[in-house]
Amino acid sequence: MKAKHPALRAFLSDRRAVAAASFLCVEILLVLLIPLVLGQDPNLTDRAAGFWALPSPQHPLGTDDAGRDLLARLLAGGRVSLLIGFAAAALGTVLGVPLGLLAGYKGGKWEYWIMRACDTFQSFPSIILVLAMVSLLGPSVWNIILVIGGLGWASVARLVYSGTLSAQKAEYVEASRALGATDRDILFRTILPNVIAPVWAALPLKVVRAILSESSLSFLGVGLRTPQASWGNLTQSAMELVTLTTRPWAWIPPGLCIVATALALLLVGEGLRRALNPRSRTERALPFSSRGCKIKP
Amino acid sequence: MRKYTPARLAALALAAALMAVLFLSACGQQPQGETEPAGEKETPAVNVNYGISNPWDSLMPYYSVSGSNYSRIIYDKIYDRLAYVQADGTCLPRAAQSWESADDGYAILFHLDPKATFHDGTPVTAQHWADTITLVTNPACETLGRATFVGLAGTDETGAAVAGETLGVEAVDEATLKLTFTSPVLPEEFLVDKNRDIYVLPTHLLGDIPPEEMMTDDFWLSPVGSGPCKYVSEVSGSTLVLESNPDYQLGKPGFDTLTITVMDKSNLLTALIAGDLDYYAFGGSLSEENKPVAEQAGFQVLEGEVPNTFFELMINNETIASADLRHAIEKALDKELLCQQNSGTRGTTTSSSILPGTPYSSPETQGTYDPQGAKELLASAGYNGETYTLACTSQRANLAALVQQNLKDVGIQVEIETVDSATMFAGMYDGTYDLGLASHTPTTLPLWFTGERFAPDHNLFHVADLSHYTQLLSAIRSETQERARIDLVDEFEAYLNQEMPFVPLWFTHALHVQSNTVTGIDYPASACCNENVWQWEKKA
Amino acid sequence: MANYIVKRILGALPVFFGITLLVFFLMNMAPATIADAAGGGEASSAVMRAALEANLGLDQPIPVRYVLWLKELLTGDLGLSYRTGQPVLRMIAQRVVPSLILTGTGVAAAVVIGIPLGVMAAWKPGSGWSRLAGGLTLLSYSAPGFFLCVLFIYCFSVVLGWFPAANMYSAGSGGGLGDLLLHLALPASVVCLSSLGNLVRQTASACGEVLGEDYIRTARAKGLPEWRVVWVHGFRTALLPVITTILNHIPHIIGGSLVVERIFGWPGMGSLLFTSVSSRDYTVIMGITAVIALAVLATGILMDIFYRMADPGVGWGGEAK
Repeated sequence: MKAKHPALRAFLSDRRAVAAASFLCVEILLVLLIPLVLGQDPNLTDRAAGFWALPSPQHPLGTDDAGRDLLARLLAGGRVSLLIGFAAAALGTVLGVPLGLLAGYKGGKWEYWIMRACDTFQSFPSIILVLAMVSLLGPSVWNIILVIGGLGWASVARLVYSGTLSAQKAEYVEASRALGATDRDILFRTILPNVIAPVWAALPLKVVRAILSESSLSFLGVGLRTPQASWGNLTQSAMELVTLTTRPWAWIPPGLCIVATALALLLVGEGLRRALNPRSRTERALPFSSRGCKIKP
Repeated sequence: MRKYTPARLAALALAAALMAVLFLSACGQQPQGETEPAGEKETPAVNVNYGISNPWDSLMPYYSVSGSNYSRIIYDKIYDRLAYVQADGTCLPRAAQSWESADDGYAILFHLDPKATFHDGTPVTAQHWADTITLVTNPACETLGRATFVGLAGTDETGAAVAGETLGVEAVDEATLKLTFTSPVLPEEFLVDKNRDIYVLPTHLLGDIPPEEMMTDDFWLSPVGSGPCKYVSEVSGSTLVLESNPDYQLGKPGFDTLTITVMDKSNLLTALIAGDLDYYAFGGSLSEENKPVAEQAGFQVLEGEVPNTFFELMINNETIASADLRHAIEKALDKELLCQQNSGTRGTTTSSSILPGTPYSSPETQGTYDPQGAKELLASAGYNGETYTLACTSQRANLAALVQQNLKDVGIQVEIETVDSATMFAGMYDGTYDLGLASHTPTTLPLWFTGERFAPDHNLFHVADLSHYTQLLSAIRSETQERARIDLVDEFEAYLNQEMPFVPLWFTHALHVQSNTVTGIDYPASACCNENVWQWEKKA
Repeated sequence: MANYIVKRILGALPVFFGITLLVFFLMNMAPATIADAAGGGEASSAVMRAALEANLGLDQPIPVRYVLWLKELLTGDLGLSYRTGQPVLRMIAQRVVPSLILTGTGVAAAVVIGIPLGVMAAWKPGSGWSRLAGGLTLLSYSAPGFFLCVLFIYCFSVVLGWFPAANMYSAGSGGGLGDLLLHLALPASVVCLSSLGNLVRQTASACGEVLGEDYIRTARAKGLPEWRVVWVHGFRTALLPVITTILNHIPHIIGGSLVVERIFGWPGMGSLLFTSVSSRDYTVIMGITAVIALAVLATGILMDIFYRMADPGVGWGGEAK
């Protein structure tokens, strides 16, 4: 495979990251396509099968406590969980990057107020805000995305802010300024490309966090609008002792999906980080990397 | 390298701080857990671990903000009540040994147990009871428990004493309390209805506290009562340690301490099986599904005989104004299916809120599921495809999903809002929601459910014209002859069936997982918010 | 330096007010108030509702209530709980220590396990250590907290019967240290596991970076034993980012863990918060908010001071961090 961009080439040469990325793509395709083939309505009760039906050819994962097909719900839940994860992470990034840039580049009042707002959002367990806002806005996928994403801007902004601060001092910025480049040009042509790398690398982790936040919200009894499924609220059925002990097919698949997706996302994140950081492209120690740094004698 | 020394210091300081916090706090906590009285060191204290899924409020029994059964079941231990009410409505003596009607049914005489004493040793007299009720009905007192005394002579519609009128409470002698009402009241009915909210306070200790500060006074941080257990310590909203009252008039509970801990509902049965709990409220109730789990773990499961939960679909009669439409909703609901989803085989569908098996319940119950009929009614009611909002708590989300499908089958569009119960009732009350799924603990009284929900200042279902409801309700209330009363109740029920302001769904019989360590528990009675702890026995 | 500290404290004030303002308005805009929660939600009549709202001052507009709350705060009083009528300060004080024990132990365990593991992973990539570190990190990042709690209770409490599933002490046992540790085992493990991933990652990446530096090569070239190079020189340099990670856990250490405390019936701040949110007990929610915000801001300031002491190059002027 020949890739032009050095970062892309570095990413593609990382077997684990590529495997993880392919897994994610396949997973997304599966949750989108299988329901078309399966033709089961995830929200429809099958009265003939009854509540908590055992797995059978008709319902490969059985039915839940309202007689709904669990496989269909697993797939529908996957769509919702992945959507929340990616959309919330994207929203946080879209909000955080410009704010971080502004604070770092403009300095002064901008810096003061944006960074104070950052501190405000970061110095507090956000679960209170999430709970309050979701109960204020009402349950729906988009509201959850809005709340989780909206509260996720601060860490991105801080990352971009510190990157901007150091980039500003760099010679190439001085140079382009001396050449009479406008603020806009410097910000978007010179600084942004240089500070965006860590943001990309942190993005997969943000997706994982958003997926987990949704599942915590399910536990706390706020979240999606019934009867919508998500991996979080499907895993929730394990809270009932009898389901935990006697119906592993009901909670292991969604639980595994969360864990597997998180694994893939983390590996992609590591791959991105290595690929985007030229200094460590060749040597880097990582918790789950087989070919990390070789300490040179 | 030198320049990193402060960082290392910081790390060391941090580690030291963490360790110090850990050990200091571990040591600091020790005395709190120590409940054993000094001097009895030879025999270890027998402790009953009691689990509960929601926290109680203030330990002042007339200042329960939530007004929930979780608070009542706690007050039941520290403070004494007039009687002990069993699941079938039988009243047994507690602070009162007996009771009788007086003044042509307008008054009740309670003959109090002379052996009753407060935890400070002072005997409980009729004057304590009279002073307690005078205090709570005092308008200056910011109590939340006054509504219990509505109907007592000399009180207004909120239960506050009216200046210039004689309050209907009197200590006839040391051991006789007389309550006088504005209309005739049967003693048993009064007790079934109100006993769980009437407690005697140690008024001899409260003399210095002005009534307006009474509710939040520091006294209630370590209260004194005359109940079967004494207060020891509390972590508000989490743990409450009580010790048995050896002088309780009905006998000393068969344990030394009772530790009540708040835990997530899903963890109660698990903790019981793991041996961390001896019992959990209410009555160790568990779902039919969990029955085999409990039995496999070596527990016996008792089947309750009196239904202890009533489910209904609340309707906003203002937004769903047509009675035909409300009937269509009832016909669209497959109550059998819903009941089975929620309660398995332990439920019985109903078309009335009156407890089955009482003189007032009608014996025949016919099925109401009729989707075809619902569609016809819908057409004649002129339903325009509007989407209704159905509120429910998160535990009932899947039940609501079934209701949604039922209604969709006949063409009624519903959107579900999963909220906590406070938001649900607030939303029903202010008209945000059109439908709501709720459940309640019934009593044997015919008006236990309907009696309070059609009042002008508490019109939960937004009924446009309450006049016929109020008229029928007051007729039933003032009728003392049972036969005539049954007829009136039948008439009221017929009217409810015609108007369908709410849809009665089903009654559930509880299952109680029995403690392997504590004997003598009257499990079903916990539904009436009292527990016979004085008969509990735990072997050391 | 004193100037710097004063400046930092002044800078933290707007953040403190920002946090309280945000939480106050959001909580008070929620659709149901405590008056709705009263009487199990529905038994309360309009009259009772009005009485309760007047008692608690809920009939006043939200901004007025916020100012009143601030006034109380300045006198060091957090008011009375709406739900229990008890002083908020007392309720919080009862909860701080259990939360510190639980989260403190959990995080301390994570530090004790995570830092060596992170160093090992950076030192010997591809080894068993590195795989273990990777596995734990993954588990830590990917398992929902409530799910871990339920699994732990099921495995270690119900099936194996090794540890109690709930409470802080087995009541009546006298509450010795051993008893506490037994009860602490499961919830602290969950807390430990959920902070472990971050620590291992941070340590590994900080160490990995350091091990490639020139002075490490110099140290090696001088013939120092490998373990010394890694543990003394490498690890020491990696300390700063690791401390930052630990300090970032402070809000959680103080605030406790909502989910873990709730499931295990642990009497900490997290479970108090949960109860207060569901019963709309705004005074307690605001009290907890204020306490956590204060703790976090104080650590933030301390952290900056340490940084500047550790790295004289930054000096005592300019923006923090």
